[in-house]
Amino acid sequence: MRIVVAHKWAADPQEAIVTSDGRIDQSRAQPCLSEYDAVAIALARGLADSVGAELVGLSVGGPEAASPLATKTALARGLDSILVLADQALASADSTTTAQALAAAVTELGDVALVLTGDCSIDRGARMTPAVLGGLLGWVTLTEVSALSLDRTSLTVERELEHGRQTLVLSPPAVLAVAAGAVEAPAPGMRDVLAAARKPVRQLALDQFDGDWGPLGQVQDRTLAPAPDRRGIVIATTDPTAAAAELIARLERDGLTWAGRP
Amino acid sequence: MSRLSHVIAAGRPVGRLVERARALGGPVLGLAVGPAQVADELARTGVERVFWFETGPDTPVEAQALGLAELVANRPGHVWAGRTAGERVLLGAAAAALGAPVLTDTVDLAAPDGRLVARQAVLAGRVWQTVTFDRPVAILLEGGSAESDDSAGPPAPVEPMAAQPYALRQTDWRPTGRAPVDLKAARRVVAVGRGLKAESDLGLIEALARALGAELACSRPLAEGLGWLPKDRYVGVSGQQIAPQLYCAVGLSGQAQHLAGARAAEIIVAINSDQQAPIMSEADYILCGDLYQVVPALIKALP
Amino acid sequence: MTGQPDFDVIVVGAGLAGAVAAHQLAQAGLNVALLERGSQAGSKNLSGGVLQCQGLKTVFPDFLDQAPVERVIDRQQLCFLNQSSHVTLDYADQRLRQAGSAVTVRRARLDPWLAERAEAAGAIVMTGIRVDALLRQDGQIAGVTAGADELRSRVVVLADGANSFLSRLAGLRRAPARHQQAVGVKATFKLPAETIEERCQIDPAGGLALTMVGDCTQGVAGGGFLYTNRDSLSVGLVLNLGELVRRGGDSSLLFERLLAHPLISRLLRDSQLLEYGCHLVNEGGLAMVGRTVFDGLVLVGDAAGLTINTGLTIRGMDLAVSSALAAAAGVTRAIAADDTSAAGLKECRDAFDRSAAGQDLRLFAQAPAFLANERLYGPYGELLADLMFGLHHLDLSPRRHLLAQARRSLRRSPLSLGRLLLDGLKGARAL
Repeated sequence: MRIVVAHKWAADPQEAIVTSDGRIDQSRAQPCLSEYDAVAIALARGLADSVGAELVGLSVGGPEAASPLATKTALARGLDSILVLADQALASADSTTTAQALAAAVTELGDVALVLTGDCSIDRGARMTPAVLGGLLGWVTLTEVSALSLDRTSLTVERELEHGRQTLVLSPPAVLAVAAGAVEAPAPGMRDVLAAARKPVRQLALDQFDGDWGPLGQVQDRTLAPAPDRRGIVIATTDPTAAAAELIARLERDGLTWAGRP
Repeated sequence: MSRLSHVIAAGRPVGRLVERARALGGPVLGLAVGPAQVADELARTGVERVFWFETGPDTPVEAQALGLAELVANRPGHVWAGRTAGERVLLGAAAAALGAPVLTDTVDLAAPDGRLVARQAVLAGRVWQTVTFDRPVAILLEGGSAESDDSAGPPAPVEPMAAQPYALRQTDWRPTGRAPVDLKAARRVVAVGRGLKAESDLGLIEALARALGAELACSRPLAEGLGWLPKDRYVGVSGQQIAPQLYCAVGLSGQAQHLAGARAAEIIVAINSDQQAPIMSEADYILCGDLYQVVPALIKALP
Repeated sequence: MTGQPDFDVIVVGAGLAGAVAAHQLAQAGLNVALLERGSQAGSKNLSGGVLQCQGLKTVFPDFLDQAPVERVIDRQQLCFLNQSSHVTLDYADQRLRQAGSAVTVRRARLDPWLAERAEAAGAIVMTGIRVDALLRQDGQIAGVTAGADELRSRVVVLADGANSFLSRLAGLRRAPARHQQAVGVKATFKLPAETIEERCQIDPAGGLALTMVGDCTQGVAGGGFLYTNRDSLSVGLVLNLGELVRRGGDSSLLFERLLAHPLISRLLRDSQLLEYGCHLVNEGGLAMVGRTVFDGLVLVGDAAGLTINTGLTIRGMDLAVSSALAAAAGVTRAIAADDTSAAGLKECRDAFDRSAAGQDLRLFAQAPAFLANERLYGPYGELLADLMFGLHHLDLSPRRHLLAQARRSLRRSPLSLGRLLLDGLKGARAL
């Protein structure tokens, strides 16, 4: 039995450079394994150990997803092996295309009881890939999972929802997105990194799979998001009392009142 | 291409989505997942028909993803849903069935001459792009009630669907006892970020929120990494997206992912010790200083 | 505890020195680990940007074609900057391009490339590892600890940068004196390649290195620079730390002033700030190198204090490469001879001292003292500008002979002829 953690080698959008004409330059942004993915791997490691399952990482993305740095960084987190589907066509793929590639790889791998993912990817943050993946595989899909346990036939999942803690029982296979704070994910130690260098990395090629991997829509134009029209008034804080009085006076001039507050 | 739209309802109001879907000019069908009440409410939003996937009290809406996806696959069209966990899973299943792209962070949507033209905010809201689609799309948008009340007419017919749900059952539910918060409804919001040194200092920020008559919010790390505040209080790309009259950001750097959720505020006040923080260039009033000095002074000065 | 070591050699720090050492050692067939605290090699590194790459070309003959090199420097300018004027010495030479010995590089790209070469040669590259301390056994360095883990090796090569925290922690070296270090402030600005070529008068294949002295440091020992990358310009300021502290200067204010200077602001017009950073730079020359070989341990690059302040530039990267090559040769020999004591590793230092870089280091031994002369950072530039102004500003007075004009300018300057001659002599000797 295999447990798969789908993770993404991607850069924080904060690091990309946007030129004044709206072009996006990612060349200076360093991709990384996000905290969300690290948490998913940590939770999956515990689960795999508890049932004696094999823990396989699955990374889909552009060519850099297959770099030794990318695979070793993920393996050092505790995966047994990693499967990579890296292709230029997937470099900036949307949630649906990414999910299609993940589904193809999961099917090709076989004997998968669970696919776990992080809460979201660092680059897009759309939180839709697990949902589309579950739909493609035809598997139960749950997000915001904070704990889980597995026995031969059933899976118990806990979720921290807005107003309570929910426990659910289902039968595998399933796709589960792990909540951001589900478990601690400590940084790997030297022995983990050393072990990672010797773990198996298997690469899949996109042309093994049928499908049209091109973009699903046609981008017509890109522009810088309109600059916020803010006043940018600096209020000196050397004297906090004076600063407070000035801010309140300015807010009042903007029409705010303090009567009738709850 | 079909101009048909499906709007998914799974317990939250979706009148706004129906309104937007109707604006595209095609027929709008409702897909209700949940108890009868959900279907009845959806029937009164202006949709032509409602297909109802019933779930019992111990079954989460995610159990009906497969049935809903099958229906959509048989009647291809755009699919609309709100942003809660359950709605996302249902929308994702529909997108999978159609091979449809999922549009998140959509600024504007139109369908001139049948093809869909979407204006999207990408790269955590830093870039806007216009994309055209010659196929059905899945649209994730903030739900909510319709802006204009259009419930005067007779309700749409509701057809119960007999789909086989996933074997998924809730066995336990422990309420946290916390009252739900609706940040979107708040006219004033005080948001706190990692500049706050300790959880015990939250009292100071709460006192400021009270003094301003504001609701308390935070950046993502405080809700998810540190867990100092519940998740429904964090503002950002993947959290709450709000447009209050006053947004007072305290000790909050204002990364693009966060600002994307607060940019629509009318007035932004930034209290931060770091002059280089991104929030400082997106604020109306900038107080560069120690929040532990400025906030108490503000509380004291407010009438 | 006395089991088989995990590695023959552990190299700490994947900068230029560390990556090159690891590459050479792995190629010699040794079992090597290269540890880096950043999430990626180079992610913590900053340098001015000009690399003298002859050393790297001996290791990688195809360096210029394969490595992520930005531009080959074929135009050198030296600029005396005053508040509202500047005098520039401009030197362009096709031979510089053909020789390809000085190139601009971005460490965020070069360092990962070097680490990949080390990995391809067989070294195990481990990123995200913050080494806490050196391990000792029987009086000899025997490995490193990081978090809960220990890794043992026969030799440790320390390439942990200008502050070499690890060697100080082990009591092997002292913190450098303030006057031996400088603060480097640098920012990079994005511009289209064609704009850079037009503004700096260079070809698509060429590059400019502009060195500035004078007003940019407001009298603090140091200088400014501007280098051309492919589609960005790097502008920086290097300020002697001791001097800066003594004069109560503010490096970021001085830097902003430099950016606002007409010479610089014209070159940067309509550009976009990409990155900004500060870094400690060694500039003490030979005086701060001291001992670099210990029992089981060799220091290389910045960790060994290896820099040459030539007055125009601070050379560090090429010394890092030379010291790494020497260290790798010495360590390989010591391990083959099964003697990794300081005596066994002696060749690490000797080979460096014999190298061209090692000889340069001795040649420039007097430079730091000469360069501490504050006259260099103010009056000289004004003197030159005054001279040029007198020559080119045609007022109604009759023109003077060049020499007469120079004498007149010198009289107005706080500098005396004697001072001028003395400084000239000292400079000629030191540089």
